[in-house]
Amino acid sequence: MMHYLLRRSVHAVFLLIGVSLLAFAFTVLAPGNYFDEMRLNPQITPETIAALRAQYELNQPLPIRYVHWVSSVLHGNMGFSFAYNTPVAPLLLVRARNTLLLTVTAMLLAWGIALPLGIWSAERFGRLSDRLVSWGTAALLVIPDLALALGLLVIAVKMGRFPIGGMVSLNFENLSLAGKLRDLGFHMALPVTALVLSVLPLLVEHVRAAVAEVLGAPFLLAAEGHGIPRRTLLYRYALPAAANPLISLFGFSMGTLLSGSLLVEVVMSWPGVGPFLLEAILARDIYVVIGGVLLSTLFLVGGNFLADLLLYWADPRIRTESNA
Amino acid sequence: MVRTARANCSSWRIIFVLLFVLAALFTLPVAASPQQKNSKEELLVLPGEIGRSGGRLVVSLRAEPKTLNPLNAPDISSREVIGAMQADLVHINRATLSTEPALAKSWKISPDGLQYTLVLRRGLKFSDGSPMDADDVQFTFRVYLDEKVHAPQRALLIFDGKPISLQKVDSQTIVFQVPKPYAVAERMFDGCAILPRHLLEKPYKEGKIAQLGALTTAPNQWAGLGPFRLKEYVAGQRLALERNPYYWKTDTKGNRLPYLDELVFLFVPSADAQVLRFQSGETDVISRLAAENFSVLSRQQKDYTMVDAGPGLEYNFLFFNLSDPTEKTPADIVQRQKWFRDVKFRQAVSSAVDREAIVRLVYQGRGAALWGLVTPGNRRWADEKLPHPPRSVERARELVKEAGFSWGAAGNGDSWLQDSGGKPVEFSIITQSSSAERSKMAALIQDDLKQLGMRVQVVPLESRSLLDRVTETKEYDACVLGAASTDADPNVDINVWLSSGGLHLWNPSQTHPATPWEAEIDRLFNAQMYARTFEERKKLYDRAQEILWENQPMIFLASPDILTGAKKSVGNFRPAVLEPYVLWNVEQLYLRNEAVNATR
Repeated sequence: MMHYLLRRSVHAVFLLIGVSLLAFAFTVLAPGNYFDEMRLNPQITPETIAALRAQYELNQPLPIRYVHWVSSVLHGNMGFSFAYNTPVAPLLLVRARNTLLLTVTAMLLAWGIALPLGIWSAERFGRLSDRLVSWGTAALLVIPDLALALGLLVIAVKMGRFPIGGMVSLNFENLSLAGKLRDLGFHMALPVTALVLSVLPLLVEHVRAAVAEVLGAPFLLAAEGHGIPRRTLLYRYALPAAANPLISLFGFSMGTLLSGSLLVEVVMSWPGVGPFLLEAILARDIYVVIGGVLLSTLFLVGGNFLADLLLYWADPRIRTESNA
Repeated sequence: MVRTARANCSSWRIIFVLLFVLAALFTLPVAASPQQKNSKEELLVLPGEIGRSGGRLVVSLRAEPKTLNPLNAPDISSREVIGAMQADLVHINRATLSTEPALAKSWKISPDGLQYTLVLRRGLKFSDGSPMDADDVQFTFRVYLDEKVHAPQRALLIFDGKPISLQKVDSQTIVFQVPKPYAVAERMFDGCAILPRHLLEKPYKEGKIAQLGALTTAPNQWAGLGPFRLKEYVAGQRLALERNPYYWKTDTKGNRLPYLDELVFLFVPSADAQVLRFQSGETDVISRLAAENFSVLSRQQKDYTMVDAGPGLEYNFLFFNLSDPTEKTPADIVQRQKWFRDVKFRQAVSSAVDREAIVRLVYQGRGAALWGLVTPGNRRWADEKLPHPPRSVERARELVKEAGFSWGAAGNGDSWLQDSGGKPVEFSIITQSSSAERSKMAALIQDDLKQLGMRVQVVPLESRSLLDRVTETKEYDACVLGAASTDADPNVDINVWLSSGGLHLWNPSQTHPATPWEAEIDRLFNAQMYARTFEERKKLYDRAQEILWENQPMIFLASPDILTGAKKSVGNFRPAVLEPYVLWNVEQLYLRNEAVNATR
């Protein structure tokens, strides 16, 4: 077990170093820099811009900047934001918290719907009800996320029941605990719905396909022949047997927790990483962008690590292989 | 006996009352709340509709402000917030576009035009209650002029390479010395917010002043002289400001401004979301609207009013790459630059461009066609003699023919323009992909020039990549771009006009003027900067505009209107054409019906 964990950890560290190198190279080598936009401001002289570039080490060679940045990461700052004139880590973490609140809720809800719906659909494989589910998921799949989010916003404006954006009301601090939770829930309703609708088709189809494949297996036919009730058959025998690809998918979906909601956050003014990263990319606030990429990679690595552990626990074949 | 006792008693009562009144008179100034006017204060009385105090105004910002520090705030959102928290000595009134007294109650210019004596109002206080005097002014300008601070305001305070100097006469009076008599030098004070010496002197001496003013700063650690002060910042969501009780302006009835208790900036990252939040009543005012959104809101308006303030000071233009080729410049660009350098070629392009169609199709008619850098929104400085010829493809054809171009037949029956060497006239126009308006303009120009036989490709580029090409690598043919003057006075556009300027985009930062007409523009512009009367300056500036028109290094296209809206409950809403469009008079804005606002 320890050997298995150690091997996965070493892989994760190499992956993080590789991603940081690539993210750094691509971001830094992109044409233009943060201070270019200042050139269009007639009040700012070229000398001031040159001095600022020097102050923020934009004139230094790439390897030196990378080493300084790595040192900053090790000190917990993740570089320095040109725009905010402060270290990146605190800026990113406060927004990452908001993003996680949104995406974890949406992910739990999406899996909570996808598992029973996928199993229900697989059980009726080929029948009209299964086809209806397939058509529904296909329809959701072809609607772009942007259209989905904007459509929900338009409905919300027409209904006038839900807030159009933001995370809490202006009088949030004056509300009771129940009032605060209700207010937060109201604000989360639209973005969570948009996120659930965007990931649901993929999850339902995966669960459906995995369970349908297992349902035709001889051991299940034998179990059915022994008179085991259908419900027990599905949830106790079929689902664990179909779990492997679903656990991998779960691990992967953890990786998208930070980056998966970027578009929805921008459209719905959710104060998460999305609007912050988009602005940083457009403004070439490079250390914010690299910080965002690194944090997403960390989540992906963490998700895969968790999935590996779950697979190790769920699948005896992996235990045997890694112990061998 | 009884009468005497009664008389004694009433005498004591009178003495007691008199003593009480005297004590009250002595203690009143100390105990008076900042809301009440102190007799030692010289407050500025603002004319206008009398409002009612209280309430909260909610405004959306497209991007989160980055800092509260006026020393390093290049972005619009930060400037908008800082504008509500800080004040300057002399201010440009956004409605009249002229200067008016602000923290300085008056100023006097010496006969030789070299000395500006400014007298401060009495009783001024920062938003934390600390008094403000000439020492704060001295400290402020020392910081702005310090090269190590890199404040953008420094450029405003340098004349002909020499910085201004200042001297404190007494706690209310400061003398500013300018190196050369400079037209409208008092305008330089607008945008130079007076900094609190008691809070910033120590960090300045430690070299940390530029790092101050993060949004997470504790409210008691930041002070200004503007109508509002910091209340609360919630990362990614909002910034709330509260009323500055020590503000130095009143209405005509003596009520201390601002009327509003709170000003909240919500961060709404997309234009469409801003519109939806305004529509749903979550925000009270909206500005920087695109024409499409303005039309939609105008059609649906119920409890809000939409206002078209007319053309602003933004000018959009097409320019060709006239920079000197280097060893790295690709040969095909050098080849095409030969066409671009021919003034008749540029004039032909200008003649073929349909500016009215741009206004109609890009701005839905809410804008003005442009033939010069000065927009119709800047009535004082626009040159009325500048020709405004309508589009003429025939005239354009004559001009290219005179320049030695001819038309050759293409395979599909069309005829294409070619130069004297038989090379087809084909080039690309780069533009900002983030600006839908400019991309549309480039597409319309492409269509217009097709009728002249020119083959044009439109290449939308990300903003910083575009600027990198234009100012650094110079690898482009032509570009559609826009800029906005930050003041009505021409001096703010110095970097556009002068051949040495970084915004002289067609050939930036020249060591010597590349052409005689650029040398002449340099001479005229420099002369108007130091001319003493408006008439003299206008004559020189008009001539510079005419030379620019004759040579067409920039082909001016159109200027959009400033489109804004506000709830009907917002009083004193008078949008201006200069930034900040709707919050320039934020101290006078008020809510007619607080109940509506409070329900949010």
